[in-house]
Amino acid sequence: MREFITGNQAAVRGALRAGCDFFAGYPITPASSILSDFIRAFANGEGVAIQTEDEIAAIGQCIGAAMTGAKALTASSGPGLSLYSENIGLAQMGEVPLVIVDCQRMGPATGGATATGEGDVLFARHVTSGGYPHPVLAATDAATAYRLTYEAFNIAERLRTPVIVLLSKDIALTRQTVDLDAIGLSPIVNRAPAADGVYRPYAVASPEDVPAFAPIGGERLTRFTGSIHDENGVLTTNRTKIGATLTHLNAKIHAAEAWLEHTEEDLEPGAPTLIVSYGLADGAAREAVRVLRARGHRVSHVTLYTLWPIAERVLLRAANAAVERVIVPELNIGLYADELRRVLRYPRIESLTRYDGGLISPQTIIETVEAGAHRESSLC
Amino acid sequence: MLIVTAKRADMCYCPGCSHGMILEALGKAIDRLCRPSHEICIVSDIGCIGTADRYFSCHTFHGLHGRSLSYAEGIKRARPDLLVIVLIGDGGCGIGTAHLVHGARRDAGIKIVVCNNFNFGMTGGQHSATTPCDAKTTTTPCGATDHPFDICATVAANGASFVARHDVFDARLVDHLEEMLRAPGFALVDIWELCTAYFVPSNRLNRGSLAELSDRLGMPFGMIRHHLPPVSAQPVEDRRSAPIKRNGLSPNDSRVVRLTGLPAQTVPALPWNTRREITVAGSAGQRIRSALGVIGELAVSSGLHAAQQDDFPITVRKGFSVSSLIVSPDPILYTGLDHPDLVVLLSKDGTERFGDLSALAENCSVVVDNDLPIGDTPARVIPMVPSAWEKELAREAVSLAAVAFAFVVAGLIAPDLLSRAAEAGLSGPYREENLRAIRLGAAQSEIELRGCTFVAASGGQS
Repeated sequence: MREFITGNQAAVRGALRAGCDFFAGYPITPASSILSDFIRAFANGEGVAIQTEDEIAAIGQCIGAAMTGAKALTASSGPGLSLYSENIGLAQMGEVPLVIVDCQRMGPATGGATATGEGDVLFARHVTSGGYPHPVLAATDAATAYRLTYEAFNIAERLRTPVIVLLSKDIALTRQTVDLDAIGLSPIVNRAPAADGVYRPYAVASPEDVPAFAPIGGERLTRFTGSIHDENGVLTTNRTKIGATLTHLNAKIHAAEAWLEHTEEDLEPGAPTLIVSYGLADGAAREAVRVLRARGHRVSHVTLYTLWPIAERVLLRAANAAVERVIVPELNIGLYADELRRVLRYPRIESLTRYDGGLISPQTIIETVEAGAHRESSLC
Repeated sequence: MLIVTAKRADMCYCPGCSHGMILEALGKAIDRLCRPSHEICIVSDIGCIGTADRYFSCHTFHGLHGRSLSYAEGIKRARPDLLVIVLIGDGGCGIGTAHLVHGARRDAGIKIVVCNNFNFGMTGGQHSATTPCDAKTTTTPCGATDHPFDICATVAANGASFVARHDVFDARLVDHLEEMLRAPGFALVDIWELCTAYFVPSNRLNRGSLAELSDRLGMPFGMIRHHLPPVSAQPVEDRRSAPIKRNGLSPNDSRVVRLTGLPAQTVPALPWNTRREITVAGSAGQRIRSALGVIGELAVSSGLHAAQQDDFPITVRKGFSVSSLIVSPDPILYTGLDHPDLVVLLSKDGTERFGDLSALAENCSVVVDNDLPIGDTPARVIPMVPSAWEKELAREAVSLAAVAFAFVVAGLIAPDLLSRAAEAGLSGPYREENLRAIRLGAAQSEIELRGCTFVAASGGQS
């Protein structure tokens, strides 16, 4: 059944589809409708939704609830993500399954509350102190807002980690045709329950493993902590144990890299041009690829739904020996293109940016590709 | 089994520090409740008292500075049956004041033990929110000048059900804590105590002078507020069924679908076999987005794809409101508008925001409120007088009539097809009002088309 819904509505439905039963948030454009939709969805008591005094309390309540076993979500925009910062670190250290939706808007600071922008792509990755990783996904439209919010819960549950899902104003508030039934989803994942016997909250057999979960309020007592801890959740100064805990926080994400890579490859053998896109620019890139191919250009395209961990295997495969230029359209000052320069050393990476609140149009991408193609041919 | 597992002497606190006394008293008070330990959760804040979680044999949660109140509230909301106790210092109450005040306002059912020793012990004796005037700390070497934060008065004034202040040496401290733990709603005990590492040596505070300090500051010991919270403020323990958690909801589950209204109806096929781009530019309050959204919904119900993107400032009932709709038989990859087929101008704000009309194509139609001056354009300009329809329609529905009128006069749809589509596809509480608006707009456009009274604006074509 086709529906006509916004990216925010799609994200709420993806969360409910995944079993989300706790939401806390604070009003902010363009994320506010997620809050009001959850208040309505849980009015009958099937879940808990609350508007808190600020974003710090919102994520704090989510973390507390998540450790009782709830599947928790909070949603905000860039300014709110700033306030989540310290608690995202807590969620990393305490290994909390938690999903955060960031409906990006033009920044920095208050920026343009009702204007689009996708400048949080690096901030979402490096949002907290300490330097440990968590997955970041980026929706391209309402359909992927639904799918990725759903998948974010599965990632959060399997890896016991905070996961950030990026939308932006013109995805969050734009209504699009979506057939939710037709969207393929992976099976629901629930955090691994602790086996019978003595429960050690942070015990893992090897660094890339994820500790089994016993909820606060369950019959087996559990300890949660954001301080450096041993396998029992007790503060430790033992360097061997400190090293093991911190190595584990990194290893569990990296070990799952291949599973975390949500991408779409549309590769044309021998194409000299590769377009790598994510977020709002992706639709324009697809449209541009269609037109360019119709005009006889050979062009490949990769869509990144996972921004972190960076999909290195996919990118290295796509940027094969035939590729001479990689074009990266994005609605910021060229942030992700810089990351791609680190991963893809050989082909020339060209940043195509717009950050005035308007969209990058297919025509702009077409012109960029064709201008380069002409330049190549005139050089020959 | 006792809830506190360590002896005071074995705890990590400085000689003479009162934290151990508080933990001992709290442990005894909890033990008196005779609740299984797995129904209890201690949430510890940051600072010396933040290390106390390890001494409790129940669920424990140790998070960030000042935020213990938010974790505790989240735990309590998700599991209202648990006894959730916060251990927090005066520093935590300072940095977490917002959570303290708003937790009190919500009368959230958490129990708070404030270990108030008037300074930051763990970080080197700096002044805290509760440092008394004139007190010497490492950051107030000449004596504190700020008014000390009255935690009890603040939460009592803001809805907390149970508020008390006590001296750690009070012989009935265990009784007081037990009473607090048994109280429903947001319950807080502010316990004044000694930091022997910093505050005591700098300020000659001792067991005897805590009462003098209380007198001097006008912050009395004893019960500050004790009343039963309103029933509505209390989490209902058996209300939450949470059946959705394990397997999620199907996308068509009624609990999900209700968020977006009724499922789409089937409407007759609409004649848009290529991508069409439409912009409506008006002002906030004119229901611009709703009006164009109705057409988008009809398009989707007829089996087409649609995308509606909006542009508006941060103001709510003032300023421009511009909405753009794309309809297409194919999925819409790019939701921006490059070549509008129809531009509807309904206000001065909207017209200014839309901007330059000279770049429009000749085959674009600009349907404009007759009262609005517009610039040169090669597009076909068609005037309308929506104000004339206000007699027959609710004011809020006029924009939809104007949009219907514009779609027909621009040749995007036949009037009878639009009316039939609306009849078949509209639903929800505004169905009748919207149907009337579409029929009126379609009827007016028929008159317009029969009369062929298109007026050429400067540079336009009739």
